[in-house]
Amino acid sequence: MIKRLVTIVVLVSSGLFVCSGMRASESTDHTNVLKVKGGWSYQLDTYLSPLAYHGWQIGIGNEWWQGFRQDTRLGQTGRLSNWAHVGRMEAEGLMHINTARSNMTYAVLINGGWGAFYCWQWMDNRLKVFLGPYIEAGLTIRYLNTNVNKPLSLDVAADVMAMSGLSWSFYGPKTSYRLNYQIRTNLVGFDYVPDYWESYYEISQGVEGVARCSGHWNHHTIKHELTLDMQFGHSTWRIGVAHDYLNYGTKDLHFIRNELNMVVGCIWHYRIKANTRL
Amino acid sequence: MALPHQSQYTIMKIYGHIICFIAWTALLTGCHSREETSFSMDPVKNVEELWQIIDTKYCYVEEKDIDWNAIHDEYLAKAAALPKNDQIALFDLCAEMLNTLQDGHVNLYSPFDISNCTSWYDSYPTNFNSQLQALYLKDYRIAGGMYYCTIDNDSIGYIYYPNFLSDFSANSIAWIFTAFKDCRGLIIDVRNNGGGDLNNAYRLASPFFKENRVVGYWQHKTGPGHNDFSQLEELKSDTSLIPSKWFRPTVVLCNRRSYSATNSFVNMMRYADNAIIVGGKSGGGGGMPMSYEMPCGWTVRFSSVRMYDADKKDIEQGIEPDVQVNMVSTDKDDIIEKAIELINGK
Repeated sequence: MIKRLVTIVVLVSSGLFVCSGMRASESTDHTNVLKVKGGWSYQLDTYLSPLAYHGWQIGIGNEWWQGFRQDTRLGQTGRLSNWAHVGRMEAEGLMHINTARSNMTYAVLINGGWGAFYCWQWMDNRLKVFLGPYIEAGLTIRYLNTNVNKPLSLDVAADVMAMSGLSWSFYGPKTSYRLNYQIRTNLVGFDYVPDYWESYYEISQGVEGVARCSGHWNHHTIKHELTLDMQFGHSTWRIGVAHDYLNYGTKDLHFIRNELNMVVGCIWHYRIKANTRL
Repeated sequence: MALPHQSQYTIMKIYGHIICFIAWTALLTGCHSREETSFSMDPVKNVEELWQIIDTKYCYVEEKDIDWNAIHDEYLAKAAALPKNDQIALFDLCAEMLNTLQDGHVNLYSPFDISNCTSWYDSYPTNFNSQLQALYLKDYRIAGGMYYCTIDNDSIGYIYYPNFLSDFSANSIAWIFTAFKDCRGLIIDVRNNGGGDLNNAYRLASPFFKENRVVGYWQHKTGPGHNDFSQLEELKSDTSLIPSKWFRPTVVLCNRRSYSATNSFVNMMRYADNAIIVGGKSGGGGGMPMSYEMPCGWTVRFSSVRMYDADKKDIEQGIEPDVQVNMVSTDKDDIIEKAIELINGK
């Protein structure tokens, strides 16, 4: 079981690595967003506890956007419209306390993904709408402070998602702005949970948990983000809110995580030339 | 601003459908019923939830000679009569209900008390006296929580391991075996050892096996039904855990309070290459405990993984020794004396 999981994670990671390493043969615009986030979250993990846990998290992430081929024009009207791709890596630390205030959980979340999208642009390229597939893999490890032989729980999931969003650029009195909204939700994938009441000893000795095909019938993931990019001098900053929702279960086990985060980021624009490194 | 072309209207229409789909998804997930248990100090809700936890997750409901449904009715009635804010009364009631299971692995943890059941050993001979043991355990050294010395004119090694929570290294075992290099046998005394880390039980048994072999099985709950269990998974001894080896005669001493991980150790040693079990019946506690939370935030611990010996016999109720000996003398430890006699007789 563990070997199978590792193989899948390695394959997905390799795919992400290869895709992220793709270089266009022409000069390509590359946008990079380095961001930090923090906020409130709700967590339910009935493998560890029937009680809801609430708490806080902080995280760091990197996101980049890049056209596959900058000079490709797929629109028929002469307006700029093309295919591009996006990649993300995120890490978070979460701390929660239960509603009885008698126990705590700590969690670490690592998440990465890559997607390609088609972009439509209007209003002199100030309004953009994009849509495309996205693949994402994530791992969350939770530790319950006081427990016996079952102190850890984990989410492992890899999903093919639908991704969409829009951005609208406009000018203020002193600077320019861009309002962004992005949303993605899972379509199909796989997830893993420990089996009902399986002990830490058994998991560590290779007893299988539940690995299954997942989709909207048993696993719901929605991630969306509303941000505003602001240009100050030669730098561009991003501020906004992000909402991540995860809900899945099997048998009597239910896992829910609901995160609301403030996002602050710094944006860099590059022009990448073919076969060169930044 | 340029007006959208006809083709863009079509695209926007498609996009509208997609946004509708995503919004529907958001609504669907947002409306998903939460399966959480809300915080409550209400006695009836807590007793009901505690009963449910045991009913659906405890692995020995069927094996215990009690009517668990009758317990439900009895204790729910008692809970209804409790004052709403008397946490101590609620704790005592919950503890009383749990103690009907007569299981040393069933405990209730609150900020002010921990419940404990003693009936599983109260009616058995004690078979351990630390003052009598001190007649043998002299000039000892301590390695990784193990007290060790030689007895019977330095001809037999004696190890007293009082707690499987005490970690030890392979190096510690090597030092102990080196100290016993001239001994013809070894006594491992795990009487009154209430258990601890199961990994330590595997590691301590490791030196006594020439090869890996099946020493038992386990299975965990897979659903709320009393008989919902996973397939039996083999438990094997692992000779690689401790490089040092000991194949001379070995006697393991146990009594009724040799419990939990100690019970598992005693079970493993039954299949070791040159070991026998002497003393009283071990305490059992073969069911691996785990814990869960009640609506008031207290934690209940209970067995949820069943463990068996190599013959697929449940070891929850304890393991009969190969040689039954009870302590009756007041000037010597009869069980240690029997172990010495057995080693010398081999």
